[in-house]
Amino acid sequence: MDFFANMITGFSVALEPMNLLFCFIGVFVGTLIGVLPGIGPVGTMAILLPITYGIPPTTAIIMLSGIYYGAQYGGSTTSILVGIPGEAASVITTIDGYQMALQGRAGPALGIAAFGSFIAGTIGIVGLQLLAPPLVSVALRFGPPEYFSLMILGLVILTYLAQKSMAKALMMAGVGILLGTVGLDTMNGVPRFTVGVPELLDGIGIAPLAMGLFGISEILLNVEQKLKHEIVTTELKHLLPSAKDWGESIGPILRSSIVGFFLGILPGGGAVLASFVTYGMEKRLSKTPEQFGKGAIAGVAAPESANNAAAQGAFIPLLTLGIPANVVMGMLLGALMIHNIVPGPMMIKDHPDLFWGVIASMYVGNVMLLILNLPLIGLWVKLLQVPYSILFPMILFVCLLGGYVINNSTFDLYLMLFFGVAGYLMRKFDYEPAPLILAYVLSSLLENALRQSLILSGGSLQIFVTRPISAGCLILAVVLLASSILPRIRERRKMLVEQAEEAT
Amino acid sequence: MNSDRVSSLFWFALGAGSIYASVRLGMGTTGEPGSGFVPFTAGAFICLMALLVFLQSFQRGPHLKRGLSALWKGVYWRRSLAVGVLTLAYILALETLGFSLTSLLLLVIIMRGLEKISWRKTLIISIVTLAVSYLVFKVFLKATLPPGILGF
Repeated sequence: MDFFANMITGFSVALEPMNLLFCFIGVFVGTLIGVLPGIGPVGTMAILLPITYGIPPTTAIIMLSGIYYGAQYGGSTTSILVGIPGEAASVITTIDGYQMALQGRAGPALGIAAFGSFIAGTIGIVGLQLLAPPLVSVALRFGPPEYFSLMILGLVILTYLAQKSMAKALMMAGVGILLGTVGLDTMNGVPRFTVGVPELLDGIGIAPLAMGLFGISEILLNVEQKLKHEIVTTELKHLLPSAKDWGESIGPILRSSIVGFFLGILPGGGAVLASFVTYGMEKRLSKTPEQFGKGAIAGVAAPESANNAAAQGAFIPLLTLGIPANVVMGMLLGALMIHNIVPGPMMIKDHPDLFWGVIASMYVGNVMLLILNLPLIGLWVKLLQVPYSILFPMILFVCLLGGYVINNSTFDLYLMLFFGVAGYLMRKFDYEPAPLILAYVLSSLLENALRQSLILSGGSLQIFVTRPISAGCLILAVVLLASSILPRIRERRKMLVEQAEEAT
Repeated sequence: MNSDRVSSLFWFALGAGSIYASVRLGMGTTGEPGSGFVPFTAGAFICLMALLVFLQSFQRGPHLKRGLSALWKGVYWRRSLAVGVLTLAYILALETLGFSLTSLLLLVIIMRGLEKISWRKTLIISIVTLAVSYLVFKVFLKATLPPGILGF
């Protein structure tokens, strides 16, 4: 059967020594930055992007993916032990996880988070593996108008879910599209917005842009604050959850894995949304909802499973349609484009080793993560004690080093610093860089799809509304935009955003 | 002045600028969109959203009445300024002084000068960081790093 043939292809790629090494580097770094507050997966992927220029694309994607799902594991450690989320997706874990730690049950909390993550991660990969091929056959029927409308919908959903002010978020998407047009017009070779700088003819590179917006600007913002955190000094014993713990957790783990996986597929959804939704869901389903918030193990198991399953689900739109569901996937898309690989329905056929290799590497990565996060938990706890005063100069240095080696020129470094300062100011003024970077990555795809559609239709905009899939996407986008104006929905959206915002 | 009002004016100007530049690039027709078509649309969209944010800034509400100075209140902004300036200095000096020397200076100045970490720790961490990165980038990835006056 195809399923097994594909898996054999995949594992033969994933188990190559080079790929195993980079998979390990990915999940290791992912856990590391997941544990450390103040740097997230997007910033890290941006910083490591220059390294991927020198290695084969499959290896690069294996490593970068590992950072993403590895961060979902690591994030829980900080949430449970310090009460500060290591990652946005672990915000909700803080509530019950930290309570458990205060009650001396940090061990089982960390244990169930790791096991839940493993189970959910595996369920997510199976889902990815089963769902991707049929979706590819649907996606193959998509023409430029469908792609255009789908990308617009994706951007609208992203701004709808992730922002305090939707107008600001949409504006940032516009800025991202604008930044993406800098450089030679691919259709006719006309230079655009290069202001006479020859280095800009190739456009603004994703690495300096993302490193600036997510690496440098995060440092600038963090050094303004005195980051201090105290670790609950419980001895980490009994990491293996008891039978009772398992009994209370297995239901939430399985349910949250499935729900999380599907939420991960949604554009703009991803791990953060999944963790919030499943926590609420489990609280409602629980026989003892009053325990939630006071150290219920299900309150740890559910969101930690969901964010891992969602991390896998998020790969589906990228791998099948070539459209990133969230910023992290946007970074992966950027990395693929650096290697001249355009993800989408053709990728599974043109680059089967990459497609199945990356999927198989996730199984391998999940096993590595379980080992990294259970027996080696003590190492991460020690790392938590490294002060930011030592961390940030090193992060800054790696940014500068990476920024230089892309083109061996300081131009990219100036660009990076420029976007670093810009990102700092943007966040000060409450403009989130996430929609900007996603729109920037999509910019050229969006422009090509638009132009091709208009050429197809002979200049009539009707092509976007007469084709059913395209029309459906656009209608949904308009409905979302309109609903964000309605007061009641606006309030609920705001609550969700503010909850997520508080701890990040 | 209200921070949203200031920022929206900036973005409006940016959007307007890109509209102007796009028109000069050539809009083409809808049947054959020119190079300026998408940037024009993006610029117009930015202007529209900026206008919306500008108008919203007149609404009442506690968080909406945030002045500019409030953004830098109660934070150690001198620290971020210092880090920004040091980064700029690093870029300026990199190709003349060389990778190793400039990087060592940057790490030492930040850790010892800014963050008051002990000399011993500063030097150990800086040198280990440099050695590891040199190994990864120069030896393993074979990247070119500016040698500068030290020759490595």
